[in-house]
Amino acid sequence: MTVLTPAAGWVGILLGLAGSFVLSVFGFRAQRRPSAVRRSQLRFAVGCMVGGAVLAMTALEVALLTDNFAMSYVAETHSRATPLFFTITSAWSALGGSIVLWALVLAGYTAAVLRQVRSTDDRLGTGALAVLGLVSIFFFGLVSTVANPFKILPNPPADGPGPNPILADHVMVAFHPPLLYLGFVGFTVPFAFAMSALLLRKGGVEWLRRTRRANLVAWSFLTAGLVLGAWWSYEVLGWGGYWAWDPVENAALIPWLVATAFIHSAVVQVKRGMLQAWNFVLVIATFALTILGTFLTRSGVVASVHSFTESGVGPAFLGFLVLVLAVGFTLFALRGERVASLARPESLASREGVFLANNLLLTLFAFVVLSGTLYPIVVEALTGDQVSVGRPFFDRMAVPLSFALLLAMGVGPFTPYRHASLGVLWTRLRVPLLLASAAAAAVVLLGGISSPGVVAVTGIAVAIVAASMRQLVVTAPKPRHKGVPRVLRGQRAYWGGQLAHIGVAVVAVVIAVSGALATRATVIVDRGQSVEFARYTLTFERSEEHAQPDRLIRDAHIVFRADGEVAWTAEPRLNRFNNQTQAVGQPAVWSGPTRDIYVALAQLGDDQVSLNLYRYPLMAWLWVGGALAAAGGFWALSGRTRRPAAENTAEPVMADA
Amino acid sequence: MRRRRLLQAGLALAIVALLAVAVVGLLTARPGTPDRAYELEQRLRCPVCKSVSIAESPSETAEAMRAVVADQVAAGRSDQEIIDYFRARYGDWVLLDPPASGSTLALWMLPVAAVVIGGAVLVLLRRRPPQDESLTSEERDQVRRAVEQARSRVDDEVTP
Repeated sequence: MTVLTPAAGWVGILLGLAGSFVLSVFGFRAQRRPSAVRRSQLRFAVGCMVGGAVLAMTALEVALLTDNFAMSYVAETHSRATPLFFTITSAWSALGGSIVLWALVLAGYTAAVLRQVRSTDDRLGTGALAVLGLVSIFFFGLVSTVANPFKILPNPPADGPGPNPILADHVMVAFHPPLLYLGFVGFTVPFAFAMSALLLRKGGVEWLRRTRRANLVAWSFLTAGLVLGAWWSYEVLGWGGYWAWDPVENAALIPWLVATAFIHSAVVQVKRGMLQAWNFVLVIATFALTILGTFLTRSGVVASVHSFTESGVGPAFLGFLVLVLAVGFTLFALRGERVASLARPESLASREGVFLANNLLLTLFAFVVLSGTLYPIVVEALTGDQVSVGRPFFDRMAVPLSFALLLAMGVGPFTPYRHASLGVLWTRLRVPLLLASAAAAAVVLLGGISSPGVVAVTGIAVAIVAASMRQLVVTAPKPRHKGVPRVLRGQRAYWGGQLAHIGVAVVAVVIAVSGALATRATVIVDRGQSVEFARYTLTFERSEEHAQPDRLIRDAHIVFRADGEVAWTAEPRLNRFNNQTQAVGQPAVWSGPTRDIYVALAQLGDDQVSLNLYRYPLMAWLWVGGALAAAGGFWALSGRTRRPAAENTAEPVMADA
Repeated sequence: MRRRRLLQAGLALAIVALLAVAVVGLLTARPGTPDRAYELEQRLRCPVCKSVSIAESPSETAEAMRAVVADQVAAGRSDQEIIDYFRARYGDWVLLDPPASGSTLALWMLPVAAVVIGGAVLVLLRRRPPQDESLTSEERDQVRRAVEQARSRVDDEVTP
């Protein structure tokens, strides 16, 4: 029995690997000669991939749940004392399992693409399936070689060390990594279609139309994954922030920035036939950056360039990255000229002009973050010197770029295509501008805020929301209470985008406000004593110890009183896991609509506690804004947008006000 | 018509006035005393953590370093002196804000280079004449005549 489960996992991986081989061979053959391959053959190959990946994932979960320590992955990441919930999530808390999950998600996306490919006459589709097969070969190959979780140990240990403590502490581990993977892996689909279109020497918008769903699914999941990751970091890590510009965080942000640029430039190509070559560049870059991100997080290269050859995973990812870049850009260089669009914007003062500005800003943003992330690695590899690139650098670069992007967001969606006159812009933006300047004045005079950043962001955000609302009301047919929902449902692409913009505006306001108007304090309190913070009286009442199967928890009970009444009891704690020497702190967070109070333990003695206290205004709205952005993506792709591939109707043109 | 125009001008005036109020308010606001120690702490990397500054880290090492920063600020040493003090002990690695000199100069040049090169490429692309060599001058005349005809027809229809 102990050997059966890993053996089943092995069978699954090999089945998936075989399926990927067959899919890529038959897919390319079908692209060259559609009559040589039947669709059922492709379906069989995809079936093998999906079946194999599901079998492998199931075997992994069964092995974890049955404490099967004869399997290497279980012996390394599991312990008998791990609670059920974190046992399930350990399936992706370490390298081998997370690549199995990756392969499973990739197989799922491949099956979704297969559903679109109605017959082998669809040469764009069969070619895309072939490229998906090639990428799957890499991931199934990785699981069967350097990242194999199914190795059978000759002398199984009686118990294991358990998962990484940070990954066994919070419910978010069940959501953040899978969402991030759904996002990362999803960008393989547009990459596959782009490669297929280049192989066919077939430009045009068909590959963009057919990957629109996959793009938006991937983008929305990646957005949700990023926001949840920030939330998790805020709730768990205890340093009082949500974004540290850590290389691992940047690795997820960079593909998001480029993918956001791609979503926008795809619109320009579909509507105006421009930026065709640029779209190929962006889609290859997005896919390559997801691989680079995984390389950075999984190879250990970030910790030190010297540690990365220790596992075979780093070189494998690096090799695959080089391959993707070389093949992708070579193909693009050979065929790009043929597929490049000749159309140029008639005037830069137009929707496509603002789209162009948005693309330049987003790619510059991605480039800056990328160079800041890679620079220390490159310097250390070349000279052996260690340098740091941290928050001050990234903030200095990100703030002006973000302001420019917010401005583009306020103007772009309300600018007509082809040519925008000042008159039209004034008509559409005068009321939003009035509200924005009123908001800015109110924040200064009534709110007494002296931070220029906060005032500017508030003004621009109000303009974005107001311009969007105005557009909705003006373009909706009468009567409005019926017309508005009809417009929202009818033009999902546009209004989904607007929802995402509003979400981003909310996020920008919270970032500015929580950064500039935060209150911090470090206090040392004796037992029974009180201190004042943010108009509350804090009393350190007692500390307690709770023994759990896998950890010893020590917490401090800090009572917050307002006017003598108990308002909240903070229980920040230190978790000492059985097999780890270092205790891991977990902060206590009191969220409210106007502010968060954040209490982190610095030191905990029996009679004295040292606390880091933070008060962040509006903090909870950060997650709301992120959720709005992701919801905007999902709204844009919902509804009946699927149409037969042959049909070539244009998207309905936005009604102009 | 006239009232409309007045309304427009009023609107524009109101926007400018409100913005001016905000700007004047910001300029005359009493700047809070900057927390020099906190600003310095944010620029120094915590040696035992993952990519956070000593201002953010709850670790004991960071706490000790914060105490050193506070002491030196109280002793009246300049920002540069304090930064150099830590740099001498921990190396360039401790600077979260890479200086625009030495081995991190190239990092600051990269975005500038990207903007310059990107801008140059864009200008070249825009200047490149549209590639329509495939049309002979005869064909172009044909197109022009057809367009003129079509235009005149539209004009006839539009003018009553």
